[in-house]
This record gives sequence, structure tokens and C-alpha cells, in this order.
Amino acid sequence: MWPLIDFHKKNVLTGLMFLVFLSSLLYIDWGPELIHAGGGTSLWQMVKGMFTPDLSGDILLLALVASWQTLVYAVAGMTLAIIFAFGFGTLASGVLAQGSLGRSGLKTFFRGVLGFMRAIHELVWAWLFVAAFGLTPFAAVFAIAIPYGGILGRIFADMLSDVPPQPIRALQAAGASRLQLLIYGYLPLAAADMTSYTMYRFECAIRSSAIMSFVGLGGLGYQIDLSLHDLKYSEVWTFLYFLIGLVIVVDLWSQVIRKRLVA
Amino acid sequence: MAKVMVKLDGIRKQYGETTALSSLSFQVDQGEKIAVIGPSGAGKTTLLNILARIVEPDEGRLEIDDQPAHRYTGRQFAHKVGVIRQQFDLVGSLPVIHNVLAGRLKDWGFFKSCLSFLWPQERHLAVEALARVGLKDKVYEKTAHLSGGEQQRVALSRLLVQRPELILADEPVSALDPARAHDILAMLVKLVEEEQQTLIATLHTVEYAKTYFDRIIALRDGRLYFDLPASEVTDEQLSQLYHLSELNQYVAAH
Repeated sequence: MWPLIDFHKKNVLTGLMFLVFLSSLLYIDWGPELIHAGGGTSLWQMVKGMFTPDLSGDILLLALVASWQTLVYAVAGMTLAIIFAFGFGTLASGVLAQGSLGRSGLKTFFRGVLGFMRAIHELVWAWLFVAAFGLTPFAAVFAIAIPYGGILGRIFADMLSDVPPQPIRALQAAGASRLQLLIYGYLPLAAADMTSYTMYRFECAIRSSAIMSFVGLGGLGYQIDLSLHDLKYSEVWTFLYFLIGLVIVVDLWSQVIRKRLVA
Repeated sequence: MAKVMVKLDGIRKQYGETTALSSLSFQVDQGEKIAVIGPSGAGKTTLLNILARIVEPDEGRLEIDDQPAHRYTGRQFAHKVGVIRQQFDLVGSLPVIHNVLAGRLKDWGFFKSCLSFLWPQERHLAVEALARVGLKDKVYEKTAHLSGGEQQRVALSRLLVQRPELILADEPVSALDPARAHDILAMLVKLVEEEQQTLIATLHTVEYAKTYFDRIIALRDGRLYFDLPASEVTDEQLSQLYHLSELNQYVAAH
């Protein structure tokens, strides 16, 4: 009897969840207010804007400047993030520690630091920094650098501790110290993965940088916000296309780099 | 008389229920070339890992060059003992020269190793070593682009640069085709003789052991089965060494 239940426990769980979903439908107020009546027109305007982006000189110039600003924030933020991630990630991987006790202590502490950095979303960091520094580019740069440093550092740490053990053991047998192992073993072995992940994160940083400027920091997000307030959807779409363009360019660039690393 | 390079006394190693080695004792003089043979699971690799200090024995004493092995620091030990394995031992993403110069890390400080990573130091050592194994034209090649045999020769060059007194080779040719295997073994033995080093190699091909080595140690079930000069090992002894286990393998496969 028990083995049979054990075998079907996934199906039982799926069935239960489905029942919960069905019963939740009973609590919905199926009135006319469920869907916003004027929403259809707005949606239609947005779709129309998608095909008729505003391509006037002023807007294009504005979009270009805003894209540049967004890119600069992302690049500066990522640069700092890589530095944080490299330092904390290496320490959090434990590859530099000597004994097993020291290793687990070091790992726990720096994994905690990295966890703290990425537990708070970049938008929240942006608000905090705007409150502290005012509307300066530093706020945007640090708001990206800290959570991205936390994410990258965590992944770097995992990648460093997951390298194949044989080359490391061979280097140890040749008398390499911990720091020498890092330079001649761990880093070259993990470099391709680390670069590839950093490029992916850079793409995310551009999106974040755009979104963050909603707080008023300038950049594509800020322009999108302004145009949305004026209900100028064709302008919104111009800026969105610039954002998409940026992301595509970074993606192409990272593909080129990845190919070169694998070869 | 040559000095005693390695002295094992009552070495025992247990992995859970299975005994990998039980009370193994023998002595190796400087300059000897020893092949360790035996069916798989006989404890060859465990023995080599104990000699290389990768595995700690449960019991027994291990002396390298008249000192207990555990007394050496990592760097001192690298001056005494060098290891070469079947493959995967090199960092594929680095150029060949860095993998060779890794044999110098034991003598380099942190600053010099960093500098060398950007601008290879003591380059002539690496080039010389690579020339001796016939890879002079591959100095700056990415290591992963080399064939298996070439990578093993890079590993040999690292040992040439490291210059240990004792070389431990764990199945150094098991991943290579016979022609390559002969190549690498001949080269290994020749270099060991030129450098007046001592060599202990585990092998699964008996033919190689008789051709290239002067003493054969046979292990079976973690015990010394025989320990003889290579010229005195008879075919009958060899077939007995492998007989039971191969019969078992045959039975298991059919």
C-alpha cells in the first residue's frame, strides 16, 4: 500500500494544487470592474506606437544621449561589480584558505557578505543612494555595483570551487602555494565560464541601468517615464527600440568573446 | 653504494571494508627504475598516492631520502618528488610555456610567479625542456590544442623543469595508443637516466614493464606478490598474477 502512495505522491500533489486553484476562482468578484474599461484604447495606442516610433531629430538625439548615459552607468557599475566580485568571490570560494577550519570560516563569512549585497534589489539600493547622495551618477553606479558584485561574486566562488581537481593536484605536487594555485590553476581553468557569465550579467546591468533611471537619474528609463506621463507612446517606443538595440549589441559582443574563449 | 631513496615499512590502507594495501614494505635505491604491476584493484594507484602524500596511510612508515615523508613542507617535497599521471593534469587554457614553468613555482615567490604569468621568466629553461621532448615549436601554443601524446610530453617537460629526485608515474601511458605509449615511456626512461633520477611507475601493460624498467613489483589484493629484477620475471609468474582476476573478469563479462 505505502509504496503505491509513494509512487503516486507527485500526482496526488498535482491534483491537490489544481483543486486549490479551482477553489480560488470562487473568490473572484466577476463584476464589470474586473477589467479596466478604458484599458483597450490605451493598449491600442501602445500597439500603434510600436509601429510608429517617433523618429524626429530631437527625439533621436535625446534617445542617443540617454542610451549613452545608460550604457555608461552600466559599464561603470559592472566594472566596480567585477572588482568586488573578484575579491569577495575568491575569498568566498575558500581556495586560498589553508586548513579546513579556516576554509569553512572564510567561506561562511564572505558568502554572507555576498548574500547581503545581492539580497537587496538594485532599485532599492538606488533609492537609498539617491536619498544619501542626491541625484548624482554615483547613486546609479553604486546601485548597480553592489548587488551585481554580490551575484557575480557568488557565481565566481562556485565556479572557482568547481574546477577539475586533477590539474590543481598536479600543481600542488609541483610545489605551488595557494596564491600560485589561484593564478596558474583556478583562474585559467574558470576564466572562460567567468567571462561568459560576466557578459550575460553585463546585459542584465544595461536593463537595470535603464530601469533605475526611473528614479530620476537620467538615461533611457527616465525618458521613457517622462514620455509615458505625457502619453506619448511613439516616443516611448523610440526609447525602447534603443534599449533593445543596446542589449542586442552587447549580446553580439559577448558571443564573439565566448567563441574566442572556447576556441 | 647508492643511497636509499624510498623506504616503506608496514604500510596499510583501508577504504571502508576493502583493504587497498596491507603491510607493504620495500625499499628503493636511488637510480632504480621500478614498474608496479598487478590486476586492477590491486592497490597500485593507492601505493603511488601514498608515495606522493596525496593519501595518508592508516599504518606504517614512509621515508623519502632518509626522512619521514610528512616532515617535508610542500615546497621541500616538490624538490624530492615529482608526479606525472595519465592525463588531465595540465591547465588546457594556458599556453604550453606556463604549464612547463609551473615546475618552477616551488622556487618562485608570489611576485615572480605573477610577473611570469604576464612575461614568462626563465624562459630558456622551458624552451630547453621542450626541445628535449621534441616540442620546441609549441612553446606558445594553447595546451588544449595539443594531442594526448604531446600533452604528456609537456607534462614531462614540467618534470624536467621541476627536477625532483624521485618521479612517480601513475599509468602515464594508459590513455595513449601503443605507438605513442612506447614513445612516451622511452622518453621518460631516457630523461630519468640522464637526470640520474629514480622512477616508480604503475603500469597495466606487462610488456612495457619488462622493456623499460629494471625492477618489477607485482601487487595483488593489496599485498606484495613478487618483487624481482625485470629480467628474472617469468611468463608463468605473470600469468599467475593476472590469472584469477582475469578469469573472474571473463566470467563476469559472459
